[in-house]
Amino acid sequence: MKISYRSMTILYRVFIYLFLVILVVITLIPVWMLIVNATRSTVEIQQGISLLPSKYLFSNYKILLSKGLDLPRGFFNSLTIAVLTTVITVYFAMLTAYGIVGYNFKGRKSLYNMIIVLVMIPMQFSIIGFYQWMSKLGLTDSYASLILPSIASAGSVFFAKQYLDSIMIQDLIDAGRIDGATELGIFHRIMLPIAKPGMFTMGIFAFVAAWNNFFNAFILITSRDKYTLPMLVQTLRGDVYRHEYGAIYLGLAASVVPIIIIYFLFSRYIVNGISMGAVKE
Amino acid sequence: MLKLKHHQYGYLFVAPFIIGFLVFGLYPVVNTIVLSFTDRTLMSSSYSYIGLKNFQNLFADSTFTTAIKNTWQLWLMNFIPQMGIAFLLSIWFTNNRLKLRGVGVWRMIFYMPNLMMASAVAALFFSLFSFYGPVNQFLVRSGLLAEAIDFLRKPAIVRGLVVFIQWWMWFGQTTILLMAAMTAISPSLYEAAVVDGAGTIQMFLKITLPLIKPVLIYILVTSLVGGMQMFDIPYLLTDGRGSPGNSILTNTINMYMKFHSSKGHIGAASAVGLVVFVMTSVVALLIFFLLREKHDQSAEADR
Repeated sequence: MKISYRSMTILYRVFIYLFLVILVVITLIPVWMLIVNATRSTVEIQQGISLLPSKYLFSNYKILLSKGLDLPRGFFNSLTIAVLTTVITVYFAMLTAYGIVGYNFKGRKSLYNMIIVLVMIPMQFSIIGFYQWMSKLGLTDSYASLILPSIASAGSVFFAKQYLDSIMIQDLIDAGRIDGATELGIFHRIMLPIAKPGMFTMGIFAFVAAWNNFFNAFILITSRDKYTLPMLVQTLRGDVYRHEYGAIYLGLAASVVPIIIIYFLFSRYIVNGISMGAVKE
Repeated sequence: MLKLKHHQYGYLFVAPFIIGFLVFGLYPVVNTIVLSFTDRTLMSSSYSYIGLKNFQNLFADSTFTTAIKNTWQLWLMNFIPQMGIAFLLSIWFTNNRLKLRGVGVWRMIFYMPNLMMASAVAALFFSLFSFYGPVNQFLVRSGLLAEAIDFLRKPAIVRGLVVFIQWWMWFGQTTILLMAAMTAISPSLYEAAVVDGAGTIQMFLKITLPLIKPVLIYILVTSLVGGMQMFDIPYLLTDGRGSPGNSILTNTINMYMKFHSSKGHIGAASAVGLVVFVMTSVVALLIFFLLREKHDQSAEADR
């Protein structure tokens, strides 16, 4: 029997959609179970798997707090660090990238090449030297040691440079100079407003990375009241919560849900932003 | 005030980055190198330089070599299937004959796990696969298993979970990058090839692959550097020591264990960090500079 080209295409398409649906289920089920279980009681969770939410969200929350896990505090700590890190990362990445794109100074190519190399360097392995240096400066157990390094975020500068290359309007900058604006004034009042969409995309990535960062905080922060959400998540595995599954899932969901909300609000920026640094138009 | 020539203002703009890099980037690396030649601990302020002793100890210690081997294996085992699925999806999504619907929605869903907090994801799988957890309940109640399995004590299963989680978190991002590279290729190239009588596979090998090479290198290098630093998931999935039987002991866990030992042996921890730092950087930079084509470099210089 001969199958026409047209029906072959349809058959192929059906197979692909089936494959995609299975992949979607694999992608979403762990996250969905996490959120649903945060609303179920420990008894319900132990009775079996369900994909429908229940009504124990608030009682799980009370159990969580009664065991000494200060979720609001961790939320506030994580938010503080993530917001400050985002602002510093975006501002200084734009500043650096504008210096490279806008001025033809000696050594700018070497600087840019150095930044590309830095993107490929596993800086995490210098954490011990970083820790010891911070403790000499008295900055361990302080958010400064988590936030200040973002002044020199190579990955963000790389992204910002690619972005500025694509939107740079030299005439506008020259016009600003003729009008007597200072160089920094041109950057603040002409360049940054044009670059807003790119800054926003960069900001989302910086925020998510800071929000999710476990390792650095784990090494540098020791006081319980300064713990960030990922650090609290880590304590959930301890004995205190052994049989409080509902509360554990709630703690996990609280760290994940804000990011899911951000994603659904700004997925267009995020999905387009991923390839921005890597693919040149 | 000092009068600068206009282009010299560039130095002022990049100065904060350079200072920040020297203080928070370069100096810590130098400090790690210095520390790796000492027997320094967190508990005592006196220390001495002991030459290459830390490194000799490392290479004599089988946990160190196990950690290196594990990290490479765990990375490769997730990278290969990740590329496979991402290639399949990006070819389907960009295919003009198939004209699949909702491409934007599919890839938006597939990317979502990448934004999840890795430590929360690890804690979730720890809970799902624990002895009294939902997975065991489901398998036993549905009769698929006679009795519950202690998943997290089985090396092969634990490794499989780490690989799966990594794959789950990253295949969406790789798909988006490949798609962006493929859609950037001018359709006229394929049209010309069709006129010349080229087949689908030939076009993929002769047009698509060479033109997406820069993105492939980008994916390879960033994934490698990220994979070599893997910590959150293997650390939080079991007991934080790479159990069972060191099966998911990675380089960063190994370094952390030295740092967090009862004495806080930061000299030895620095030595671990330094060796894997050099190993990863050398491999990443070699891949980048050897695979990058000459004309890319000249295009870079023109910018």
